[in-house]
Amino acid sequence: MPDVVLQARGLAKAFVAPAGRLPVLVDISIEVCAGESVSIRGSSGSGKTTLLQQLGGLDEPDAGTVGVFAHGGGMVPPRKTLGRGIGFVFQNYQLMPELTALENVALAARIAGVDAGPAESAARELLAQVGLIDRLDHLPSRLSGGECQRVAIARALVNKPSVILADEPTGNLDERTGVEIMNLLLGVVAERGAALVLVTHSREFAERATRRFVLSGGVLSPA
Amino acid sequence: MPWFLHLALRQLFPPGKRFPAFATVSILGVGLGVASLLVVQTVMNGFGEEHRLRIRESFGDCVIVGAAPIANPDELVAKLRLDKEVDGATAYAEGPGLLRRGDFSGVAGVRGIDPADKRQPARQYVTAGKFDDLDDGRVILGYGLARNLRAQVGDRIELWSPAMAERAEKGKAPLPAELEVCAIVRTGFTEVDDRAALIPLRRFREIWSLGPRAHGVILRLKNPAQAAATAGRLGVGHPDLRFVPWQDIKKNFLEAIRFEKTMLFFLMFIITLVASFSIGSTLFSAVIRRSREIGVLVSLGSGRWQLVGLFGVQGLLIGALGTALGFVLTWVMLFFRENILGSINAVFGDGDMVANVYQFSKVPLHYDVSDFVIAAAFTLLTTTIAGLVPALWAAGRKPSEAMRDA
Repeated sequence: MPDVVLQARGLAKAFVAPAGRLPVLVDISIEVCAGESVSIRGSSGSGKTTLLQQLGGLDEPDAGTVGVFAHGGGMVPPRKTLGRGIGFVFQNYQLMPELTALENVALAARIAGVDAGPAESAARELLAQVGLIDRLDHLPSRLSGGECQRVAIARALVNKPSVILADEPTGNLDERTGVEIMNLLLGVVAERGAALVLVTHSREFAERATRRFVLSGGVLSPA
Repeated sequence: MPWFLHLALRQLFPPGKRFPAFATVSILGVGLGVASLLVVQTVMNGFGEEHRLRIRESFGDCVIVGAAPIANPDELVAKLRLDKEVDGATAYAEGPGLLRRGDFSGVAGVRGIDPADKRQPARQYVTAGKFDDLDDGRVILGYGLARNLRAQVGDRIELWSPAMAERAEKGKAPLPAELEVCAIVRTGFTEVDDRAALIPLRRFREIWSLGPRAHGVILRLKNPAQAAATAGRLGVGHPDLRFVPWQDIKKNFLEAIRFEKTMLFFLMFIITLVASFSIGSTLFSAVIRRSREIGVLVSLGSGRWQLVGLFGVQGLLIGALGTALGFVLTWVMLFFRENILGSINAVFGDGDMVANVYQFSKVPLHYDVSDFVIAAAFTLLTTTIAGLVPALWAAGRKPSEAMRDA
């Protein structure tokens, strides 16, 4: 059996609305293995981002459990391995506007406890891998959307996480740049042996994952 | 350098911006608050110190007076000089006199002193003539008094004493004492400069018909800080005399200055507090604006206390830089204090308030290290708290909420 790096059991989440409790996630279970890519599609407001936040430990589920494989630590709650066991890629890149491309990537390593020198070396190597070696000292405001997302991908990978959670990583990009970013994301993640959970509107990008799911009415079903 | 400190510096001073609005306004606000606090404290210290100095120069560390003039001052002075705590003792006499030079006249506080006393404070304030030229035919005038009389060194003036009026009542023709101005002193204390006239004690006794008596004895002590205890000890056995330590001379006035300093400290304290609140408010806005970034930092593995550090350090840095700027502004404002005061007087037409109210020709200063330490500690504390409150709020938020609300 392949190594399971992300495991969710019976996840449930509801929001309190004026009209009453609004269930967003209903009894969701999923396992993701190393080297595997999983896509989750759904309409706007279907709860894709909420599911990703539960899987990544950015929010607590009302019910159910999530475990992430941490190097040397077995399965642990995702909150305990943020930044090291899990890497995030967001739709709006979410780079620190005051830091250069190199500093943004190195920041993730510094937060994980890596010293400044090694963190910068690792960041430089990854930025070279995503094709930004000549943009190291550029602030995000001086980078294009595609370049920003490349920096964000490098940042997500710098601590060698076992899982990458990508929330609409091409949502803000034009079609051609979106394809480039998807190629890069799938290629780099596969090359590093990490698992990818991709949330997207795009059927085309979703089809490129090894396993595909649809989230509708709070229920996760195979596509 | 910890990552959050590096990020805090970048957020306060983003690259490519020479004067980032938030940091510049905040640091300037704190700097002005600190400067206003320290300027007021230093000037008030100056008033207090200058008054204490003038009191000690005029009355020594302890002055001995009685209900009547001291009958045998030379005997008392000789006895006091033998005491191990006494550094010097000299008899004096004083009284009001009318000075006249041609068509100009003025009322003077005339003091009879020992011209041979090398420690006479007036020696250091001579601006024209020579102190040592003082003899029975000469007088030393305060700067303001000399100006009122249009008198200069070498001019002759007439001195009338109340004793001359008594002589006139007895049918004797009162003749004024004719004295030559041998020196002019300027202490900067207008009460002295506008009224003081110094003549030898022997001459004073003649003009005032005082005989061998004196109005008091001035003591200089080896340890002025212990003046009260020494005065109490020396006063034993002299029930007809009062030994007054310098701290008790014009005590109410010195207390008033101290009280004024305390009140002004509280006013300035409030100004600095308001500046700190405005920093807290601005940092709170910044924290809300950066909610999404806070969520991202959590997703990268940042801990609660590192987030607290990120925003708390910004408050601390603003406080530290604002305090440093405040110190510089304090020095600049105090260096140009006369020009600043002149401009204020010119705009509001108040005249020379320093001379009129506080009796000084210049704004006095006295730097007290403890004032600077207190101002720095207080400012760093309030600005750090101002940064910590929004930092704690930010660190306590769920990252998913932070990212959604941004």
